[in-house]
Amino acid sequence: MRLFYTGILTAAVLGSAVVAASVVWPIGKAPEKIALPGDVQRGAYLARAGGCIACHTNFDSGGAPLAGGAPLKTDFGTFYPPNLTTDATHGIGGWSIENFAKAVRQGISPEGDPYYPTFTYPFYANFTDQDIADLWAAFQTVPPVAQSTPEHDTPFPFNQRWGLKFWRAAFLKEPQTNPVPDNGDTWNRGRLLVEGATHCAACHTGRNLAGARKSDTEHFQGNDRLPGGGKSPAINAETLKMRGWNVNNLAYALRTGLTPSGDAFGGTMGEVVLQGTKFLSDDDRKAMATYLLDDHQGG
Amino acid sequence: MNYKKLVTTAVAASIFAATAFAHGGAKGIVKERMDGMSALGDTVKSLAPMMRGEGDYDAEAVRQGAEVIRSHAGTSLTKLFPIGSGGMPSEAKDTVWQDWEEFAALSERLHLYSEGLALAADNGLMMTQETTANTGTMMGGSAPMASNALGLEELAEMSAEGVFAMISQTCSACHTKFRAEAK
Repeated sequence: MRLFYTGILTAAVLGSAVVAASVVWPIGKAPEKIALPGDVQRGAYLARAGGCIACHTNFDSGGAPLAGGAPLKTDFGTFYPPNLTTDATHGIGGWSIENFAKAVRQGISPEGDPYYPTFTYPFYANFTDQDIADLWAAFQTVPPVAQSTPEHDTPFPFNQRWGLKFWRAAFLKEPQTNPVPDNGDTWNRGRLLVEGATHCAACHTGRNLAGARKSDTEHFQGNDRLPGGGKSPAINAETLKMRGWNVNNLAYALRTGLTPSGDAFGGTMGEVVLQGTKFLSDDDRKAMATYLLDDHQGG
Repeated sequence: MNYKKLVTTAVAASIFAATAFAHGGAKGIVKERMDGMSALGDTVKSLAPMMRGEGDYDAEAVRQGAEVIRSHAGTSLTKLFPIGSGGMPSEAKDTVWQDWEEFAALSERLHLYSEGLALAADNGLMMTQETTANTGTMMGGSAPMASNALGLEELAEMSAEGVFAMISQTCSACHTKFRAEAK
């Protein structure tokens, strides 16, 4: 009996120690100084491509741009994309560019807390300092909106943010945006967009029980369990070709929503086009289509 | 056949019937609007390759297509969505009736753009980059109800390709908000 209680006690002490240690476990790299001048136009373009505007604006309820997005219902609770306007209290008006860089590239708040991966920061990890400076400059043009964002509504244990540190350690990987020599500028530009900013895999790759993408085994093979109950089709090159897609009509679909069958995207892909890819250049859409329709590795 | 077996069979039969109904068993007004949507789909499908520059541009075909779209847009479309006509086998979401004003506005926009396409048919393909005009701003709202709707005169000056792209985006905007996607 005594042994039993000793065992429980030991487990409790060890457990507490692990929790305490993980609460103070520092994550991420120290914020680096970014002194580059930013280009507002380029930043706004990247904010479109990256989905910042789409996710952090509640278009349906007529919300102000970037003042907080529509709630995202997932298996881990309901998440509220926060206010990213220049409001000092409710938005990011009190941030430095270094805070911003760490949030976007590393998924870590100015207080050092890890963000939930509903924020697609893993795709932004390879943004250059210039990308960050451009985005930052663009975000400075957003008028402040004094509107608070509800706390994420997550049940225990998902409401314990320190748990995300283990998630990061286990699942966080660099996006495969690195250029492949010999594949040409168009293909590599497509790779940079598809595997990076436009984060196609966030919806088109299945996730494991911890909500991490199964990049090694199911990259671009579709996902039947999207937040909100939808599903996404496979978009690997083989499937796309089989379903009648080519570079021309895929690039066109990213602009117009029109599919080869004469249907028009609805659901979340409709949002992606109407709030995101329709604003990109023809060259970029062609680059994305070129990459998607060619054999490639990613994740 | 005992009672339990009878009930089981009846339940199985009704599930089968419901399933069969859901898959193409639409009739009446729901069938009518599905046929209308198919006509729209066939039309944009036949015009799209031309608009993408694959093959010769045919202004007359564009005018004819625009007329088909016009005939299925505006009130011709919305009158097929009376209150209470949702639910299986319809793919219409309840938002159609909850946000009727927006639904009707999108249908009217489709109507306007189809008239614009007919007027712009002779203008052919790319003249400008109309649809990407909002690119460089964080404020470029593109809510379905955005008040940046163009008038007929402006549409008539655009490339047919540009107007056609706006028609397609209108289809997509409406599907995004008002059509249930396959689960």
